[in-house]
Amino acid sequence: MIALNRRLFIGTLTATLTAPMVIARTRPRVVIIGGGAGGATIARYLAKDSKGALDVVLVEPTRTYYTCFFSNLFLGGFREYKSLGHGYGTLAAEYGVNVVHDFATGVDRDAKAVTLASGVVMPYDRLVLSPGIDFVEGSVPGWSLAAQNAMPHAYKGGSQTQLLKAQLAAMPEGGTFAMVAPPNPYRCPPGPYERISMVAHYLKSHNPTAKILILDPKEGYSKQALFEEGWDRHYPGMITRIGPDMGGNMLKVRPDAMEVVVDGEVEKVDVCNVIPAQRAGNIASLADVTEGGWAPVQADSMLSKTDTNIYVLGDATNQADMPKSAFSANSQAKVAANHIRGALTGSKVFPARYSNTCWSLIAPDDGVKVGASYAPTPEKIASVQGFISQRGEDDALRKATYEESLGWYAGITADMFGA
Amino acid sequence: MGRGARFLLSVLAALPGGAAAQPLGDAEYGEYLSAECTTCHQRDGSFDGIPSITRWPTKEFTAAMLAYRAKQRPHPVMQMVAARLSDEEIAALAAYYATIEN
Repeated sequence: MIALNRRLFIGTLTATLTAPMVIARTRPRVVIIGGGAGGATIARYLAKDSKGALDVVLVEPTRTYYTCFFSNLFLGGFREYKSLGHGYGTLAAEYGVNVVHDFATGVDRDAKAVTLASGVVMPYDRLVLSPGIDFVEGSVPGWSLAAQNAMPHAYKGGSQTQLLKAQLAAMPEGGTFAMVAPPNPYRCPPGPYERISMVAHYLKSHNPTAKILILDPKEGYSKQALFEEGWDRHYPGMITRIGPDMGGNMLKVRPDAMEVVVDGEVEKVDVCNVIPAQRAGNIASLADVTEGGWAPVQADSMLSKTDTNIYVLGDATNQADMPKSAFSANSQAKVAANHIRGALTGSKVFPARYSNTCWSLIAPDDGVKVGASYAPTPEKIASVQGFISQRGEDDALRKATYEESLGWYAGITADMFGA
Repeated sequence: MGRGARFLLSVLAALPGGAAAQPLGDAEYGEYLSAECTTCHQRDGSFDGIPSITRWPTKEFTAAMLAYRAKQRPHPVMQMVAARLSDEEIAALAAYYATIEN
């Protein structure tokens, strides 16, 4: 009996020790670069739905991910900073995702391997690039990353958001808050204008004689009629927008002097939020899957048009009719996850469908939204049907829209990081 | 079986006294389609400003989606989502959400 038990015990022990190693060698590996709305979502869906058949590796430098979406609500005082932070512990512990806190520095497409800043080379069977955005150098003359403390962009979540909030709070009485708005395309089309709303809300109660100046290279922008109606109603006389007709596209900044030069005219400002022109996160360029700054993708799968082993998600892609948003990235991640599982495990591949909704807060309990559904056509991801909030909606509807946005934040972050 | 017939059966299956435990919608397809829902509706049923639809009875789920699709029930996001769902897809979603496990 004892011998038998010992043999059983040894047999079990051997199986326990060897099984994971065998699996590690034989399971196809998907490496995901970037743990935001695209990357975290696809990591979770691949791990959850493949039930251990895939080795899912998520490369993300930050331990706590601070969402850029909803960071405007923090500026307005509607959200605690820490409520924007999310960890990767659940993805690792409950879903078995291998979360690697490192920075991807290169992609060898021939060898199918990613190089990390630590020097590790990580081979992949499929690679997912979800790196978000980087800024186009020189797009705002006078501004560079070296000047981002004097003139924050706050267009990637985290410390920049905190910095802009601190600068807003420290503005002198009756001072000027300036924003240099970005040219199209950029992440979160209504984002700069929701930010203006939140800054205005803050100033209305803390610094009511302060002024807001928007310098905008674009003719028009997302939800413009709704924002303008709201600004007239809640913040009359506080906000001035200088569009391209008035020189909003011919400007430079002087971070050392806190000056903005618009069409030759010098404006002294107290806070200057510079949101530069954008491009795909740099690793997409290093992988050589971009064209004109963004990565073209196949509309039915999110596969890169230049490499059938690489998928690209979210802001980094050229996604035709879809706006760059967390919602879009999350939606695209599910299509790509289904496609990758089909390719690597033989599971059923269902037709792609995409959707997006962007909520914006104009003032307390005054929320608006815009959204659409999308489907692949041979040419692109095309809009199917859309909706937008209307001017003059009653207070109850606007309040319900705002509350819905809170539900969405809870929903999408649970969908990304696991509840 | 045509779409209409399958849909009708799935509705019948949800009626009291019928084979309610076995909805006829394709739950695997429903699970894939549900990924569009989970951006807002949390799968574990948590409710933070958007209602839970987890373990909603098939009959009610189907009726709600049909009403959104017909634009009889107001909500622009839900009308948009429902607009492109076929009867079969609504049945698949209803089947998935009725039987969802944590």
